[in-house]
Amino acid sequence: MDASLLTQMLIGALLGVSVYLPLRCGQLSLATPGFYAIGGTLAALLSTRVSVLGGNDPTYPISSVLLEMVLAGLLCGALAVGIGAVVLRLRGVYLAIATIALVEILRVTTLNQEGLGGAVGIFGIPQPFNEPSGYALFTLLLLAGICWLCDRVERNRLGRAMAAIRDDELAAACQGINTERTKLVAFVLSAVVAGLVGVISAHFLNSWNARLGNFDASITTLAFVVFGGSRTWAGPVVGGLVLTALPELLRPIGDLRLIVFGLVILVGPLLLPQGLINPALIGAWRHRLPGRRASAAAPESRP
Amino acid sequence: MADLIQLLLNGLSTGAVYALFALGYTLVFSVLGVINFAHGAVFTLGAYFTFLLIGGAVGANGLLAGFQLPFALPFWLALLLAGVAAAVVSLLIEHIAFRPLRERGADPLLALITSLGAGVVLVNLIQLLVGAESYAIPTSALAGLPAAIRLFGAQVRTVQLLLLAVAAVLLVALSLWIDGSRSGKALRAVAEDASTAQLLGIPSGRMIQIAFGLSGFLAGIAGGLVGLSVSIAGPYFGIGYGLKGLGVLVLGGLGSVPGAVLGGLIIGIAEACVPAELSGYRDVVAYGFLFVVLLLRPQGLLGRVLPTKV
Repeated sequence: MDASLLTQMLIGALLGVSVYLPLRCGQLSLATPGFYAIGGTLAALLSTRVSVLGGNDPTYPISSVLLEMVLAGLLCGALAVGIGAVVLRLRGVYLAIATIALVEILRVTTLNQEGLGGAVGIFGIPQPFNEPSGYALFTLLLLAGICWLCDRVERNRLGRAMAAIRDDELAAACQGINTERTKLVAFVLSAVVAGLVGVISAHFLNSWNARLGNFDASITTLAFVVFGGSRTWAGPVVGGLVLTALPELLRPIGDLRLIVFGLVILVGPLLLPQGLINPALIGAWRHRLPGRRASAAAPESRP
Repeated sequence: MADLIQLLLNGLSTGAVYALFALGYTLVFSVLGVINFAHGAVFTLGAYFTFLLIGGAVGANGLLAGFQLPFALPFWLALLLAGVAAAVVSLLIEHIAFRPLRERGADPLLALITSLGAGVVLVNLIQLLVGAESYAIPTSALAGLPAAIRLFGAQVRTVQLLLLAVAAVLLVALSLWIDGSRSGKALRAVAEDASTAQLLGIPSGRMIQIAFGLSGFLAGIAGGLVGLSVSIAGPYFGIGYGLKGLGVLVLGGLGSVPGAVLGGLIIGIAEACVPAELSGYRDVVAYGFLFVVLLLRPQGLLGRVLPTKV
């Protein structure tokens, strides 16, 4: 398989996880492309304007990429704490609309600020890897790390609290779960993941512009989660991989590919209302893997 | 004074389109509690239908290159028929993307995705058939009307006045229908509680279809009018309006008809007040408004607060 398509798919999977995290506690936030854009713009600015990082070296040092990721993670996390504290008071479709507004405000501002790339964007972002396979490996490592983290979270107190809020927020609060804080943690984690992906994406794409974080991206990333399923982290990962690959794999059919893509998003939820990775499938897996059964079944046994 | 009138009319005519748009969302939202993301695509379709019906020729790209209807209708008739065609498409969307989910009692969130899928299909279908270039509905379609008239010393484009007039007529008719007629009351009953309404003998499914049909009709008319006053900037041009409409919807209060109108006019006028040197930030106005309103008054300007039920 083509390594650059693989990288795109892995990036899609990571963005799917970012949308999934708030959704695990029932919060439909579409802010992911906003934080993705913040991470990407930050990486683009640092690597092209701050020469100490090694932007003029033949290959851009990976340590600088890691530094950018730390900075992007901190920036997105800090912003998410502030934004989340206000926005998460909203429920359901109101939260979704508020986050769409947020993404649009960020996009239009970036578009009009020459210092942030303006309408043209930032070009010639230095490359830490000479081969696309380097990006694929790097992104795969990040995805594996984040999936591991999600898996841990889903099995501990925080993950159970998140699921309880999704099922019934009022009941969760009555049981002593700090719903405000739990939702905020999920929102911040989502923002950090999106920011990290933005950094990788900026280097991988070699150029960055405001259009990369727009409303279309909000909806596409949401489709990853709905298509893949939102019960466990594997859902958005599978959804992101498949739906990112689909338009590319459909390229031979030319102009029809986006129509087919639309049909998949239209028909997918009708055929599989709970996504590809749905509770029935998860149950079947647990049955097959008795070793994991005890630990995996524990969270679901709680009301 | 002349400048002020000019500004106000610019704002009002843009705002009227936003209001028509938001009303379509509101009708569907009030009966189903979900947002129909294919609404922007229906709006776009309305604009293209109008263009074709007045005898416009398709450009060089797309499968229908050079296609032209053998007849050319007057603008008014074309607009009306485009509205009807858009209503039919909207009903089709309801049938394919909404009804199967509703019958299964699935998570309302899924309708967001399926309607979006329907929108993606429609927009790309348009692109495939007529290409991505922009089309303009010539103002000469309004045969017999002057291009601009003087009003209190201000030079006003006739198109803007027409837009305002048509929007006002539609909005008033819709409000009268919802508040006064038997079927309007039935619609409100379904909006209040679909299953109770059904028990009382109101055909909920039929009312939902009416809501979708009307919503599509309004979107189609709005599309045709914008195509006339600005231009059809390609298959994607409804998306920007779709997002603004969402802002208008929340500003006025989800599910409130007067709220949608008020929200549309406020955002239209606020955008018209943005000075030319900051015109790049014009789009921020609607979202900024929306954001502040959501935080201070989540139910919107004219919305109702619903108590949390256990």
